[in-house]
This record gives sequence, structure tokens and C-alpha cells, in this order.
Amino acid sequence: MLSKMTTLRAFTCDDLFKFNNINLDPLTETYGIPFYLQYLAHWPEYFIVAEAPGGELMGYIMGKAEGSVAREEWHGHVTALSVAPEFRRLGLAAKLMEMLEEISERKGGFFVDLFVRVSNQVAVNMYKQLGYSVYRTVIEYYSASNGEPDEDAYDMRKALSRDTERKSIIPIPHPVRPEDIE
Amino acid sequence: MAARGHVQDPNDRRLRPIYDYLDNGNNKMAIQQADKLLKKHKDLHCAKVLKAIGLQRTGKQDEAFSLAQEVATLEPTDDNSLQALTILYREMHHPELVTKLYEAAVKKVPLSEEYHSHLFMAYARVGEYKKMQQAGMALYKIVPKNPYYFWSVMSLVMQAISAQDEKLAQTMFLPLAERMVEKMVKEEKIEAEAEVQLYFMILERLGKCVEALDVVRGPLGEKLTSELRSRENKCMMMYQRLQLWPECNALSYKLLLKNPDDWQFYLSYFDSLFHLMDKSWSQPEEGEHCVEGPVQTTVAEAVKFVVDRMEEQDKKESRPLRGPYLACLELIHRLRQRGCPDEKELGDPLELMVQFFGKFGDKPCCITDLKIYLHLLPPEQRSQFKNRLGELVPLGEAGEDGFGFPGDTKALQRHLCVCQLSRALGLQHALDTEGKLRLITELKAHYHHGLQFGKSCLKTELQFSDMYCLMAAHVYIDLWTETGDENMLWQCLGMLEEGLSFSPSNAQFKLLLLLLFCRLGAFQPVVDLYSSLDAKHVQHDTIGYLLTRYAGSLGQFAAASQSCNFSLRFFHSNQKDTSEYIIQAYKYGAFEKIPEFIAFRTRLNQSLHFAQVRTERMLLDLYTEADVTLSLEESVKAMGVCPEEDDIPWDNMRDNRDLTVLVSWDPKDRELTEEHRRLSLEEESVWLKVRALTLRLLASLALLGHAPSPWNSDKTNENGISAKSSTLQTLLSQLDQTLETAAQITEKHTQYPFLGPPSSRLASALSSGSCHCQASALQLSLTLRELETTGLEMLSRCKGEVLEMKDGRLKTQPSLLETLVFFVETVCVVLWVASYSANVLRPLKSSLQKKKKKKKDSSTAMPVVMCGFQEWTGSLHGVVTQALDHVKGQEASLTALKLAALTLEEGYSQTQEECGFTRAAMDKVQTSYLGSLQEMGDLLRKRADSLKSLKI
Repeated sequence: MLSKMTTLRAFTCDDLFKFNNINLDPLTETYGIPFYLQYLAHWPEYFIVAEAPGGELMGYIMGKAEGSVAREEWHGHVTALSVAPEFRRLGLAAKLMEMLEEISERKGGFFVDLFVRVSNQVAVNMYKQLGYSVYRTVIEYYSASNGEPDEDAYDMRKALSRDTERKSIIPIPHPVRPEDIE
Repeated sequence: MAARGHVQDPNDRRLRPIYDYLDNGNNKMAIQQADKLLKKHKDLHCAKVLKAIGLQRTGKQDEAFSLAQEVATLEPTDDNSLQALTILYREMHHPELVTKLYEAAVKKVPLSEEYHSHLFMAYARVGEYKKMQQAGMALYKIVPKNPYYFWSVMSLVMQAISAQDEKLAQTMFLPLAERMVEKMVKEEKIEAEAEVQLYFMILERLGKCVEALDVVRGPLGEKLTSELRSRENKCMMMYQRLQLWPECNALSYKLLLKNPDDWQFYLSYFDSLFHLMDKSWSQPEEGEHCVEGPVQTTVAEAVKFVVDRMEEQDKKESRPLRGPYLACLELIHRLRQRGCPDEKELGDPLELMVQFFGKFGDKPCCITDLKIYLHLLPPEQRSQFKNRLGELVPLGEAGEDGFGFPGDTKALQRHLCVCQLSRALGLQHALDTEGKLRLITELKAHYHHGLQFGKSCLKTELQFSDMYCLMAAHVYIDLWTETGDENMLWQCLGMLEEGLSFSPSNAQFKLLLLLLFCRLGAFQPVVDLYSSLDAKHVQHDTIGYLLTRYAGSLGQFAAASQSCNFSLRFFHSNQKDTSEYIIQAYKYGAFEKIPEFIAFRTRLNQSLHFAQVRTERMLLDLYTEADVTLSLEESVKAMGVCPEEDDIPWDNMRDNRDLTVLVSWDPKDRELTEEHRRLSLEEESVWLKVRALTLRLLASLALLGHAPSPWNSDKTNENGISAKSSTLQTLLSQLDQTLETAAQITEKHTQYPFLGPPSSRLASALSSGSCHCQASALQLSLTLRELETTGLEMLSRCKGEVLEMKDGRLKTQPSLLETLVFFVETVCVVLWVASYSANVLRPLKSSLQKKKKKKKDSSTAMPVVMCGFQEWTGSLHGVVTQALDHVKGQEASLTALKLAALTLEEGYSQTQEECGFTRAAMDKVQTSYLGSLQEMGDLLRKRADSLKSLKI
């Protein structure tokens, strides 16, 4: 009855045909194919999907490693993290974040960062619980859609073990503009 | 486009403004600037190319192309020209020309790493694997960097993957790739993780699993660090392929101890355990133990293992994991399949599921988890199970209506889960109408009560009680489909609209509303619903069918056209997009992604939906525009439809539709099955075939209708026409065959689950008679075509002089007269048939015109017949006119024939007297011929007149 399946495994192109239950969520963006392929080609290990015993996709995380090592800015970045409504409240997002952090540790990153809508209180709180703090606010990072105004983002960070003094997460008090971030 | 940091070359400085104009989309200024520059610097080739880019982007493809070729033939070696040409060729969808460009460049600059690398990438873009292999090696020889070497190796693997002949892959390409890697291994030159990955890939494809295992376990395997658990996963894969069940079992066991929630390892643990049991495997002697650790070989051990995992979770302070409890149910399921009595050791499934509910009933996924194991409950236990679960749901005092409500969201989720499970157990379906109505009342009450918990929810969040609303809608649908009471449908719509007002982001509400509106034939509300889902990109392929299935068929042609366009834009960009990332994958050494990307591209190209929107879009254009703004022929030409060409991959069609996008808690026997999927694809494919053939037939008709007629044309044209008629013939017989298959399919009356795939338009198209009417009309066109051709052929056989003078002799051809008589007789018969047809069609046309006045829509089949008839009588008229001209000509030449001028040679033992008699006889013949011609001419003229009255 059950086909062979995996709980946590690498995201593949075929998953793009099955992720509607996750991506029909209003806060989850469905990107163009090039965007996904770029991540799969460059950082395949950072793109992980969770599958339920019945074969449904539960959620996924998509990330990358970037930044200058010399300037101690080499870090893991969470580009997208989403869990289908019916698989929420299982700690899955935390598990996926933990995996991304572990991969970033192995790559010698100084920290992990992510952007989140300031209005998405549920997500902000979750990241705080996972040890992330607001590093800075990015003004009008999310461009308007459906007549809504542009929205600010929090740039949240968590230091990894390489950043022993946790320098990377000292907050910047003034908000920045999207063009000023790297 | 051009990100140039340091501007030192004066040419760079000169070109800069053109780049800027192009980057800003100011193509006209770019062209002007380029022209200006070219006046001063004739040999600045890059300016020409940039001008060409400007021209291309303003729609002047031909001009752009010839300008580009001017530069390309010079075989440029400057960076600017090469890059600009690469961009231009890509925009022109001619990536193959880029390869020519760099082939020339590396010939001129043979040591350029950059050009060689561009050449490799250009080959990669068009999938020239063999040339890639060579280009990679050439690069490596110039600059011995590992990536170049492995590009070449990967190109060999690609040759193996794309080889038609698997033997060639296994005996040539892959072994060669293997040897190339081995060489590097021996020389200890392996540097990157990607190289080891590739080595593993090659060995795996060669079926050399033992060697692959050695690589993973050995020192090379230490490089496999990026992906989490990379080595373990690869080992497991190889153990399974090699059927090394002890290792598989021990590794699964080990990994489960570390992470008791990873489902895949429970499956491999159970699989391996049963394989070992079947083989009565026993632990080998001391010292020969399995490399992965202890192996478990008995049910007792497995039972203990699972029970231990559950106990471990029970003792945990923090959030328990679901894995061990589900594994327990899975083990029972497997033991039961094997008829093994030991399942009792694990406990009663009912109790276990009640326990699971106790622990996880407040999680939304509880239903999804338990649903797969409900079959472990015997039917007589179902109600008991539901009641037991009910005991675990804390509800408040029942009110007047008899319903008690949950006090918080956790209790709500539990109660909801019981409702979902009882639906999945078939208990809701078993209710009678009254029971179902009462159930709806209860679900509604819970829905409304639950809204209080979500008062502070954002617009983007779902209400906690949304699923009650959805389930009430499902029960309404049950009632509607069972009783046909349309009132249920209206209430259902109301329920969902209300739900959406409290939870405007709920995609499930939107999807179900959308489906219901479509079923009701009302497409307009669907447009907004669908657009609020914000479905994009790949979703056009997976759920686009929800729109495209109905838009056209419900008469919303503009919306249909638009939704086809959205999808088409996505599909068309696929080819270019994917090629780019195949190249990226080479650059980053993500070798295993390369075949994956190619398979992905193929999957999109072979998509059923792609073929559907492609075909429907063109048909829509014809229906709405051909013979309105453009003629049918012009429309067909503008679309580039070639009747001979079939571009639909019938044998490899991929059904990428997401047919379970609508949530369902229906019992297993009402769920979508693999068989449903197969039937739906079959049905859609046949319908697509009908549509595609109709399109090609129309194209064929359009192109045929304006071909020169053989009367005025030479032989080659005649051949051309007969070839095209044969296309029409072939397509028609294909259409007939397809309609036969279609009839067989519709006889099956396949019913899909309500929330599953919509049925195709096939059945209604057939039963409306539209298919057969269109087929007959198209058949008519072929018959007419034949009629005209054979008519003209007959007439052409009448050609020639019935009487002429040659070399002073008189020559008769009486057979021409006879043929002409046959022709005239035939014309009569054809005309009577035509007049009969006119009588049939006339009332049809007038009723159609009346209808047209009433409704704006007009049936599409009828006008084809009408046009066909008009075309037919038109061509008949043409033939008769030609015949009349011919007769007139004959009469004239006969009259002009001066027999008196004929000098009958005397001396052929003919006396002058005798010659006089001969002349008289000749005169008689001439007059008679003339008489016959006149009579036939009169008859034809009369027929031509009656033809005029055949207008409908």
C-alpha cells in the first residue's frame, strides 16, 4: 500500500508538480522555474523537502551559502521556508531550520540569516524561539501586490559556532533600504 | 546586459551608450547611436551586432539576422562582438549558431581558455554531448583544471543517458567515463566532492554497486559532506540494490536509533527484516559480523524495537514524535499481510489508534496519519472507534440544539479530527438524507462557534474552524449528487462564500467554489477566484486545467484565450530557462542535477496540458477570428499550422495535473484511484486528438482552398495538390478512427470522484452531434475536392480539336465528342445533387440565422457546411464556365475551318467527281459536329443558369 518514501530528503524537480498544498498558502511565493533551478544547480544540499507517510509533501526549506569569508560575512541564508497548513504544529519548520543550520556549520558559516515580513508575527516569534534575533529592519523589502502597500522586512540572524563572539548578530539600530543590503 | 567594470578600451567607451540604451529598453536610440558610430568606425563590428539586437527587439528579425551574419562570417574574436552575438542568437532562439561562432573563435585563438569554455557551454545549451566531451578535454589540455576534465566525463555520461542503444551506454560511454575517473583516482588528483559524486553516479549507472559502495565507504567518500547523511543514504541505496539485507537492516536500525521519526528507515528496516526472515538468514560466526552493526532477524526483535521506540517517546518530556507510533501500525499492517499471528504482540489496532489520537489528535495531520491505517479496523468496529475517540474530546455542556462545543483550539482540532475520521470511515456516507442534514447543522454550528478563536487572525491566516465549513460543503455535495436536489448546491455555495468572508485566504474554499461554479456552467466568478489563488509558473501546468477545462467550453472565449496564453508563456520559456541552468549545474559541479533538469524539461514539453492549451488556443483564434478579421487561410498561415505536422507526443504524454489539490476525507472506496487517473488521461488524450485533428483539417482545408486549380497549372502543381488532398484524406480517416475510439471510451461512462479530475468534453461533444457534424462537413470538403478535380480531369480529356486539318489532311477525333457528352451528363447529375443539397441546407441556414439573431453565439459546425456548399457551387460554376469556353472555342475553330481550302489530292485513284462527294461528306461531318457542340453548349448554358438559382 505504501510506496517507498522519505521523510526528509533532497528536493527534486518533480516535487514542483506536487507542492500545491504548500504553495497555495498566501504567504508562500511560487517562483519562476529559473529561481528553483538556480538553487538546485548551485546549492542542492540546501533545498530539503519533508514528505508524509502518505506521500504528501509537508513542507520545504530552500537556502544558500553566500558572503565574504574574509569579512566574516560567509553565512547560510534561508530563502524560503514553508509548511503546508495540515502539517503545522509538528515542529517541522524547526527541524528544517536545524538542518539548514547544520549544513551552514559544516560549510564554516559565521551565521544564518533570513528575511521575514514584519507583519508575519507567527513566523517572527517562531524564529525568535529558534534563537534568531532581529539584526535590522529593511524598509519596503516586500513589494506590493494586490493593492497592498510595500512591506518592511526584519533581517533576522543567528550566530553559528564559528562566530565565537557573536559579532555577526549585534543589531544595527537604523533601518536600511533594500538596495543597501548585500 | 553588459556589466563591464573597467572601461579602458576606447571601443568599450564608444559602445557604452548603446549598451545603456539597450539595457533601458530604448532600442530605437540604440539603433541610432550604433548607426552614428558605424559612420565613423566602419569596422566596429560590435556596433553592428548591438544594432542587430536593437532591430531584433523591435521586431525586425530578418534585418537583424542578416546584419548579425555579416559580422559572424568575419569570424570575430573580440569579446564584445562574441558576447553580443551570443545574446542575439539566444534571443532569436538560435543557440546552435553560438556554437559555430565559438568554433571559429577557438580556431583563430586556440589557446583561449575563455573561448573554449564558451564553446563548451554553447554545446551544452544545445545538448551536443559528444562535442562537449571533446571541448572539455581540449580545455583541460590548455588549462589542466579538474572541473574541465570532469565536464568531459559528465558529457560521456550524458551520451550514455541519451543513447538510444542501452548497450552502447553500458559497453562504451559509461566504461570510458569510469576509466577516465579511475585515472584521476590513481593519480590522486581527485579534489572536489562533485567529482566523487560523479564517480558514484557512473558506477551506479553501470550497476557496479559493490565498487560504488567501496567508493562511498572509502577515503573518497569522506569528501561527501555537503548533503546531510549523504554517505548513509548512498550506502542504503546500494544495499537495497545489492539486496544486502543484513547491512540494510543494521543501517536502518542504527539511523532509527538516532532519528526515530525518519519514516523511510522504518520502511527499509521492515523490508530488510522480512527479506532476512524469508531467507532464514542467521548470524554468521564470530568475527564476521555485519559492517553496519547488529542485525535483527525476528518478528520478536522488530516488535521489541518498535515498542521500545514508543516507550522512549512516552517518557519524553518534550513533544513526542509520531514516527514510532505510526511504525507500530505499519508493522501490524505488514504482519497481517504475511498472515503472521505475532501482530497481537503489538496490541489491538483500535486501541493503538485511540492512543495515537490521544497523543496527536490536536494536530491537523492526525487525520492524514491515521487515514492510511483505517483498513486495520474491521467494519463492525468503526462506530465503536468513533465513539471511543469522542470520549477523548473535551466538549462543553450541550446546548438547546444538542451540540456541545470545544473550549479551545486544541479541543476543536480533536473534535474536527473525529469528524474527519468518521467521514473517512464512511460513517457520514452511510447516513440517510435526514441524518446528513442534521450533520450539516452540527458542522455549521461548530464552524460558527469556532470562529471566536480566530478573531485576531490576520487575513493571510486560516480560521481554526475552516475545515468544518469545508466538510459541511462536502456533505451538501453528497446530498446534491445523491438526490439531485439543486437546493443543496445553492446552500453549499452559500456556505463556502460565507467561509471565504471570514477566511479570505483559504485556498480550499476557493478551489471548491471554483469547481462548483464550473459545474454550474458559470465561468465568470471563476476568473477572480482563480486569480486570487495567485497560481503562477509551474502551477499553470499543475492546476491550470481547472481554468482551461471550462473557460472555452462555457463560452467565455476571451477568458479562455487569456488562460491559455498564461500557460503557453510558461511552457515556452521552459526550453530557454532550463538550458541556462543545465549550464549552471556544470559550472557548480551539480552533476546529478543535469539529467534531472533534462528530465524536467522533457516532462514539461510532453505535458498534456501544454498540448491542450496549444491546440485550444489556435482553435479559439480560428473560431473567434477566422473569416472575421482575417480569412481562414491567413489565420492558418499566421499561426503556422502545418496540416502534415503532428507535434503532440501521443506516446509519451505526461499528465502533470495535480488531481488531488482539493482536500478530501472520503473513504478509500470513493477516493481517486490510479485507474481513474489512467482513464482520465486516456479520455483527455482522445479529446485532444479530436481537437488537434480538427485544427489540422481546417488548416489543410484553408490551404487547399486557395491552391491553383489544375486547369490553369502545370504538372508539378497538380502533384502538389494531390499530395495535399491526400493529407486531407489521411487526417479525415484519422478523425474517423479517433471518433470511433471516442465512442468506445464514452460508452464506459467513467465517473470520477467529485473532487477528482473533471470529465473531458468528449462525451458531450459526441452526444451533441457536433463531432459527427464537423466530421461530415470536413468529409464533404474532401468529396467536393474530388468532384472538382475529377470534373476538371474529364473536361481536360475533352480538350483537343474534334476536327482539324493537318498536313493538308482532315483529322477527326469523334471520341472527344463522346467524352464531352459524358461530361455534360455528369454535370447534370452533379447539379441535381447540388440542388438536393441546397434544399437540405436552405432551411437549416434560415433557422441558423434566426438563432443567430436571438443568441450572440453561433454553433460552429453549421457555417462550415454552408461555406462548403458555397465553395462547391462556386467551383462547379467554374468548371461549367470552363466547359462552355471550351465548347465555344471548338465551335469557333470548327466554323473557321475552311474545308474548301483543302486540296484533295487527285490522282489517289479519285476522280474529281469522287472528290466532290468526299467534300460533301466532310461538310456533313463538320456541320454535325457543330450541331452537337451547339446542343451541348445550349444544355451547359441552361445548367449554368440553374446553377445560379442554387444560392442558399
